[in-house]
Amino acid sequence: MLYRVIDGSELPLLVEAFLERYEVIAPVQTKKGYAFAPVDSFDQVALDYPSTVSSLKKYYLPQRETLFRFDAETNEVLDLEVEVRPRVLFGAHACDINAINCLNSVFEDARYPDPYYEAHRRSMLVVGISCTPTSECFCQLMDADEARSGYDLFLQDIGGRYLVSMNSVEAANILETACNPRVATDEDRRAFRQATRRRQESFNPAIPDIQEIPMLMDAFHSDAFWDELGERCLSCTACSAVCPTCHCFDIRDVLDPDGRIGERERVWDACTSPQFATVTGGHNFRPTGRERVRHRMYHKLNGFLATHDRNLCVGCGRCVRACKANISPIEVLRFFEKKGAEDAE
Amino acid sequence: MPNSARVVVTPLREGGPAATGSELVRANPYRPWPARITSITELTAHEKLFEFRLVDDRIREAFHHEPGQFVELSIFGVGEAPISISSSPTKSGFIELCVRRAGEFTTRLHELQCGDTVGIRGPYGRPFPIDEMRGHDVLLVAGGLGIAPLRSLINNIHDERSEFGKVTIIYGSRTPKDVMFRDQFEMWRHRKDFDLYLTVDEPDDSWDGEVGLVTKPFEHLEIVPDHTYGAVCGPPVMYKFVVQEMRNKGISYDHIYMSFERHMKCGMGKCGHCQIGHQYCCIDGPVFNYWEAKNIQGSM
Repeated sequence: MLYRVIDGSELPLLVEAFLERYEVIAPVQTKKGYAFAPVDSFDQVALDYPSTVSSLKKYYLPQRETLFRFDAETNEVLDLEVEVRPRVLFGAHACDINAINCLNSVFEDARYPDPYYEAHRRSMLVVGISCTPTSECFCQLMDADEARSGYDLFLQDIGGRYLVSMNSVEAANILETACNPRVATDEDRRAFRQATRRRQESFNPAIPDIQEIPMLMDAFHSDAFWDELGERCLSCTACSAVCPTCHCFDIRDVLDPDGRIGERERVWDACTSPQFATVTGGHNFRPTGRERVRHRMYHKLNGFLATHDRNLCVGCGRCVRACKANISPIEVLRFFEKKGAEDAE
Repeated sequence: MPNSARVVVTPLREGGPAATGSELVRANPYRPWPARITSITELTAHEKLFEFRLVDDRIREAFHHEPGQFVELSIFGVGEAPISISSSPTKSGFIELCVRRAGEFTTRLHELQCGDTVGIRGPYGRPFPIDEMRGHDVLLVAGGLGIAPLRSLINNIHDERSEFGKVTIIYGSRTPKDVMFRDQFEMWRHRKDFDLYLTVDEPDDSWDGEVGLVTKPFEHLEIVPDHTYGAVCGPPVMYKFVVQEMRNKGISYDHIYMSFERHMKCGMGKCGHCQIGHQYCCIDGPVFNYWEAKNIQGSM
């Protein structure tokens, strides 16, 4: 990895350079909190945002996306050409970059690479930025507090200046043209390490660090804890809507008013939705909230690990804030902590 | 220059750009290919067997399946549904799907006529390990519509009969009227190279087969456990009982294969609808062995 240092005052130049050729998506402050949205000047960017309500996944997997158009009378697939606009995601936190890495491993699976997802990803530059944890953040417990791949540039605030990790030629060229990056000194490196320590020390200590989550998920699969969570779940699916890694979708046909031409589209769906696991004939493999909440948590904290060697939860804390019933991975960690204490008695 | 990217879906045209069937399929895996209904057979009051022929020569030639795999069938404007392939890979050029009328999609499919066109993409999924099964005895147990995927395996074994040892088929239905492929199985009852047990829960006066659950014929089955593969498909409730019978007979965990039913919407391990525990029924299954199934939370 190549590291350079730029001054804080150079950041607007970088964003302006991106704006010349790309649509720039960045954190902005709204009435309802912070959100990723297109910006047209650096002034709109909220650099030190704590977190956003929803994640960046919509830029890779839009909430609604046309797969193709068809003629329902002749049963033919019609021409479709979708051009994806080049974009820069500016100001992504490490957890969100790690979340995109999770999505990549699903949608760029060599067996069935997804052409729509790939088009979005190929047209995207990702510029990460360091952050200070909120009280709901637990990315460090999910090994997602550092982005080691999946970005073009990563900006670490080291006090009035940024240590920039450069991961792609395209972004490095823009950085070198727009700013005056210099080689990192020993002092910069020390400042970087201090910043990392400060971040590590500012996580909420009330969120328990459980080392054996996958084993505990299996061991307590039948525990009454899941009944309690399931009964509380409102099936509103807010958790998966805000989650940066939830990627379930439905595929459906939508006809134009003429009833002849239509679109096959995919739309976000959620495993906490009551009919999600229903098959033709009506059998529902996860008929109650208990099975659905457990399935979601299991996939986040155990299942994905088994198949992709990392947790599907990145500890971003969005679902913690979104859930009206206070169901979140933190609850699961607290349950395991309690179980551990009981076992020790 | 900034990266830009595009997704293109183009219709099949005569004299279009030269591409092989598999290249066309790879270009956009969500795109179904036109298939014409070439035959419809009423199996029961609720089930029909449809025979399809992929219209484009390149796509038809690229289509190779194994027993236990499924396709995604499209009726444009209605939607798409995963349906297991009932025909044997030993017969190529057409695809047979056995479909029960149960929801909106399947009701619309049942209304279609010979000559009508649908869309097909696939095949998908992990098949039964037929090459592993060669040289061994095979015990196949189907309940109800579970015969649909198993028929592909059964007919494959039939067409290459000398490559397999003793073949036992247990097929359970609710009533005699629900028995699918009855003509085929009636003929096979007199064959010496298939041990066939047709069983129903509720017999009528015409029924001279077995009566009771699919587990009942196990009472008088003689099995060489080290030399036998099991293959199971049926309603969700059936698996644990049949698998237990197979275990009681001494068949190893990893020689008992079962095909699970889930709603595979994308077929490519992405949409999440067919997840069982940490596995995707569409790419890790739908065929799993019992050892794998035991290690998937919520599989049975």
